Amino acid sequence: MLKDVTFGQYYPTDSFVHRLDPRLKLIFLIVYIVMLFVANSFYGLALGVILIIVTVFASGVPFRSVLRSVRGLLILLIFTSLLNVFFHGGENLLVKWGAIEIYLEGVMFAVFLMLRLVFLVMASAVLTLTTTPVSLTDGLESLLYPLNFIKFPVHVFALIMSIALRFIPTLIDETNRIINAQKARGADFESGNIFKRVKAVVPILIPLLISAFRRAEELGDAMDARCYSSAKKRTKYKKLRFGWRDGVAALVAAALIAGIILLNIYAVDICPAIAKYMVVL
Amino acid sequence: MNTQDTTSVSNGAEKSMLPEYAVTFDDVSFTYASGEPDAVKNLTLRVKRGEFLSVLGHNGSGKSTLARLICGLLAADKGNVRVWGYNPADRQEVDEVRRHAGIVFQNPDNQMVASIVEDDVAFGPENLGVEREEIGRRIEWALRTVGMEKYRTSTPTRLSGGQKQRIAIAGVLAIKPDVIILDESTAMLDPRGRKEVVDVVKKLNKEEGLTVVLITHFMEEALLADRAVVMNRGELVAEGTPEQIFEMGDVLETFNLSLPEIGQIRKELMVSGIEIAPCLQPEVLAKELADFASSKGIKFNCPPYIPQRTSFKGQNEWDIDIRNLTFTYSKKSPFATHALNGVNLKIDEGEFFGIIGHTGSGKSTLVQHMNALIKLPQAEKKYKKPKVKKGEQPPVLPYLRVGRYDLSDKKCPWKQLRCDVGMVFQYPEYQLFAETVFDDVAFGLKNFRPDMPQEEVKLAVRESLEAVGLNYDDVAEKSPFDLSGGQKRRVAIAGVIVTKPKILILDEPAAGLDPLGKKEIMSLLHRLHGDWCRTVIIVSHDMDEVAENCTRACVVSEGKIFACDRPSELFRRGDELRALGLDVPLTAKICKCLADEGMEISCDLTAKGLCEAIVRSFGGDFNA
Repeated sequence: MLKDVTFGQYYPTDSFVHRLDPRLKLIFLIVYIVMLFVANSFYGLALGVILIIVTVFASGVPFRSVLRSVRGLLILLIFTSLLNVFFHGGENLLVKWGAIEIYLEGVMFAVFLMLRLVFLVMASAVLTLTTTPVSLTDGLESLLYPLNFIKFPVHVFALIMSIALRFIPTLIDETNRIINAQKARGADFESGNIFKRVKAVVPILIPLLISAFRRAEELGDAMDARCYSSAKKRTKYKKLRFGWRDGVAALVAAALIAGIILLNIYAVDICPAIAKYMVVL
Repeated sequence: MNTQDTTSVSNGAEKSMLPEYAVTFDDVSFTYASGEPDAVKNLTLRVKRGEFLSVLGHNGSGKSTLARLICGLLAADKGNVRVWGYNPADRQEVDEVRRHAGIVFQNPDNQMVASIVEDDVAFGPENLGVEREEIGRRIEWALRTVGMEKYRTSTPTRLSGGQKQRIAIAGVLAIKPDVIILDESTAMLDPRGRKEVVDVVKKLNKEEGLTVVLITHFMEEALLADRAVVMNRGELVAEGTPEQIFEMGDVLETFNLSLPEIGQIRKELMVSGIEIAPCLQPEVLAKELADFASSKGIKFNCPPYIPQRTSFKGQNEWDIDIRNLTFTYSKKSPFATHALNGVNLKIDEGEFFGIIGHTGSGKSTLVQHMNALIKLPQAEKKYKKPKVKKGEQPPVLPYLRVGRYDLSDKKCPWKQLRCDVGMVFQYPEYQLFAETVFDDVAFGLKNFRPDMPQEEVKLAVRESLEAVGLNYDDVAEKSPFDLSGGQKRRVAIAGVIVTKPKILILDEPAAGLDPLGKKEIMSLLHRLHGDWCRTVIIVSHDMDEVAENCTRACVVSEGKIFACDRPSELFRRGDELRALGLDVPLTAKICKCLADEGMEISCDLTAKGLCEAIVRSFGGDFNA
């Protein structure tokens, strides 16, 4: 039932992108998303797609895996695009059918929005595919560090995250074991109406919760015994370090920002003849 | 600060100031709830610096409470506990206590905080505010000490139980404690893992000079210590060298402990008048026997052993027939693992069959096929016959028949099958869920036979509870969570046998129990085998258990059946089994040592059979 869950879908391999500092990857993703939303023309999106292709190649993750992440959102994407096609006004009427009018500008706008979202999802997928949940939490903790000054307990927050990540595979195993045990006693989780199915979950949920509490208690004792106290000042063994790769990536990010600003300003001048269609916003 | 032991408190770092005792208990009592009997009662105990002490006791004897009192996880109601001179019950001093005394718990999974080995080992020093570079050095040293340096960047969840527990020890070592307490840290491990951990602990004591407190119910482990104490109902009832404790013989049984198996064999031989000195190793026992023989001028003559094979025709109603079984987890993903690789196995009706193998050898996957928790590919709804090109052989499909059910058939009545083939998982008590014991036991019955009248359900529940040795009137209306560990396991077994399965499969039925509990569960299974189920199959990594109980057994290794035979034949292949990282039962070891002494013996490898064969070879009873 839960056999093939691989959390965060991390793709284990070694590559330039895998080795980047997680903080940089997080910042890069934010910059990239801002860029997507700032871009006002297809030229900007072209820059975006080039960047994604280059990154995926550098990451050693098969392109399929990245595309697979978009699949789940396909229906949503098509739906929003269709709305735009129908309700966007313009000058070049393509189809008129009763009250429905479809303009060329509408189609272009819909395609533009859809691509923007597809790239956004793909970029986030590249992050989770190339970064282990552990280093992602480390990165997050480091980025959130300034919050310490407003008394937000960043390290407690990070510890909670990392313990949660640590126990996900353990609890998935446990769930599978309980499911199998109850199946062996004739429990049926696959048939019947919705009420029956909800009721069938009880024999899984209760043992799972009890075991989670038992584990929590034991873990608490083990942490106490290993001198843990949230009040004390701790040191941190893992320090994230900027390397040459990160320098390269940071330069790319800077170039990206500059590029997008230039493209936004000069989009109309690149090829005035088709500017009407290329510059959407 | 503590005034009693001022010498050690002021500055423990100086050698001359080191305390004589690592841990002291002075007339300590503790109870979990007022009104309940004391978990620890008037306990006085001194653990010398550098000593290796083992604490023996049955489940519930108070030995874990003792460990918790040392680490300041519990505070004594009465009396004084001192660790390296510090008081663990004092909020100011408990940090110092924990810096000096580290503890490793039973379940390796529940003491890891991080998803990467080195991060987990770093947790303790991070808490103490140790400098980064120093933490790095400590991680390296700790992992090297436990022999896990290769796994520094691995994920703990992918490691074996013994490896995980060694990581847990490394995590404690990184704090640089002077005392290390192992609270039943080997109870959940297989023999290989147990040996790994025990070897590390010995090394810590001998080479690193750590004081060790080893809490266990395995007599064999206690033998490694310099000194052993025995606890019973919260009290310290015996103390001495392991040999002295061992000499106590039958008295141990009144403390719900049992002699190590070698002691039981010696006892049995003594009954027949074969006088030999107490011994702990099979080599010594063999030597003693040889000396005894030569002193009495006995000519050793072992009659050949003729196995009393119950003749199975191979054509009974509830035979199991497995052919060419292959199974891969997470097919077509980067995590694909071959669990089974062409397994052929026949189990006859009426057998008490053992399946032996390491964790991860594929034995659990194998038994889960037998009641279709894992279905054969061609029995899946979506299965389509693969197209075969001309001239090519079609792929060989696995075949699996359990009694009257053909599991390669899509139309197999799955529910009926699971009703007739009962399966008890590892630690079955963790699957209990209902409000009362009655409801939990009846759960399976209600699923399989929803139309059964209430009166019959009641009768069936009563019968099965009684079959597992529980009193229906006492427990039926109780919450299963209010019962003791051993009782919970019995309830869980009752919940499986309530449907009167023809074949009963149990995965590690005795895991985590103390020796007495183990014995009780095995004799329970023999009772069930006689008048409840026709076939019993146990999955086990305890070779003694298999040799003692099974009619036949198979060894699973890397997804294949390595061998399948009667235990007496199977365990003759000691060298091959050791090459697989498996052990042989003690009886087989003794036979080997006797053979080295020139006394070839053939028997069925049960303790009783071995003793009888020795007595016979010596020419009979010496009391007569």
